[in-house]
Amino acid sequence: MNLLIDSFISAILLLKSLDAEVCAIVLVSLKVSSSSTLIASLIGIPAGFAIAFKEFRGKRITITILNTLLALPTVVIGLFVYAFISRRGIFGPLDLLYTQKAIIIGQVILIIPIVTTFTIAAISRIDDRYRKSAMTLGATTLQTAGVVFREARFGIMAAVIASFGRVIAEVGISMMLGGNAKGFTRTMTTAMALEYDKGEFVLAVALGVILLMISFTVNLFFNYLQGRARV
Amino acid sequence: MLFEIKNLTKVYGNRKVLDIPELRLEKGKVYGLLGPNGSGKTTLLEILSFLLPPTTGEIVYDARTVDFSEAFLQGLRREVVMVEQHPILFTTSVYKNVEFGLKVRKEPKARRKRMIHEVLDLVGMREFAEASAHKLSGGETQRVAIARALACSPKVILFDEPTSNVDIENQIAIEGILRDINIQKGISVIFTTHNRIQATKLSDRIIFLFNGKPASSIYENIFSGSISTDGNGNKYCLIHNKVRLAVRTDKTGYVKISVDPKMIKVFPAQDSSAGGHKLVGRVMQLTDEGDHVRALIDIGIPISVLLGREKYKQAPILTGERVELFFPLESVEIM
Repeated sequence: MNLLIDSFISAILLLKSLDAEVCAIVLVSLKVSSSSTLIASLIGIPAGFAIAFKEFRGKRITITILNTLLALPTVVIGLFVYAFISRRGIFGPLDLLYTQKAIIIGQVILIIPIVTTFTIAAISRIDDRYRKSAMTLGATTLQTAGVVFREARFGIMAAVIASFGRVIAEVGISMMLGGNAKGFTRTMTTAMALEYDKGEFVLAVALGVILLMISFTVNLFFNYLQGRARV
Repeated sequence: MLFEIKNLTKVYGNRKVLDIPELRLEKGKVYGLLGPNGSGKTTLLEILSFLLPPTTGEIVYDARTVDFSEAFLQGLRREVVMVEQHPILFTTSVYKNVEFGLKVRKEPKARRKRMIHEVLDLVGMREFAEASAHKLSGGETQRVAIARALACSPKVILFDEPTSNVDIENQIAIEGILRDINIQKGISVIFTTHNRIQATKLSDRIIFLFNGKPASSIYENIFSGSISTDGNGNKYCLIHNKVRLAVRTDKTGYVKISVDPKMIKVFPAQDSSAGGHKLVGRVMQLTDEGDHVRALIDIGIPISVLLGREKYKQAPILTGERVELFFPLESVEIM
């Protein structure tokens, strides 16, 4: 119990002192996670929309594959991307390994299935009468899609929140592709793993508390957006 | 001519839900599409509103042969709007719901505002303009949906059972709106209903639909039952294990029957002169239908009987009264 209380106090003190190293770690984490969530959303939301909206051969198997990919371990993605961007890989000359871009690539692969499947679920749940109403009122296909998107906005927002939560909390990809380089690719989770290895439990747990606080703040923000959108 | 339909069918799987050899609808009229549940009314309405392509057949709308490509249909949908039986409003304000059709038609903002207020006035919902659409009652939702359709200034409005889910006050209001838009704005109206009185009251012409096909008149008193034979070799249909009606048929097992309300004879309960196949019931409701009086009689199942006005005057019956019903063999049709 003392460990947790001490850690919590340390976390508050660390935040209060605006420790430069901690700030750098938090910023790297936020930057990398936000970028990968944004990129995955830009790909996954339209993809989910298209899969939910269109009838095509292999639709069911596509959804099954996406559902399977939800369970993809971060280490597998780490290895897979490593094979491509390491010196001997086909993208080796781009010098991506142990950079923030490498982490973002891995994380995008990790969460595209989350954004896509959540979007499919959100769109599929929308009453078909919205589509018919928009169409009979003279909307084009794109405008009709806009109506359905608007009605599914809370579900889609949940997809984005879940994806952000997944990437800010993951450690495998950040460690394998980022390399945990201080000031460059050290994220909160890789820093926690390092502090744990060093036996600095209090600092490790303090970083964990900070991570949860950030997640909480981000969720509060999304919650606020949802509240405004409901009016 | 507004619509000219030839050899139209709609098939779902192995089931032909619509089969209309020919149908012509004129401009500026009110048409009532009358038929029981599952007769294909909604499917026909969705085809006429260009939301659903037919399986086969030809539709000519306003002298244009409809090719069911999306680009062509989008143009036609700007002229024909459908209001669903259970309309759904977008989760925003009433104002923005009505604005939708105007926005997609790129109407200028000032004109949009004027038109929205005009149609909300027409349906008596002006004071709800800023209300959240999903907080409205069923009747209010129906009225906003009508306003939303009217705002598009369509040439045709199709209503799917516009008053089936609203209270009497909203029903009167909606029926008034329906008449007004036809008379004042010259909009052609096609509506579905299974209420014969409403169809008679509101429409210039009634189209009867039964099992997906146009019928010369509506089938009434439709029941499911099983055919059996009694000790004397007479066949009868047992309905809901309560009522036995004599029938003439070669069919066996479960069937659907229809009883012609004009052919049923009604006598006071003590009168035993009629003979034949009689059943005793209680008069539940009497309705004035011009030349006829319609009586709803409970004989274990509700039976609708149509009595000629003159005959009714000679031997009136009262609600709550016990009566005997005689069903001639030819009044029961196996479907």
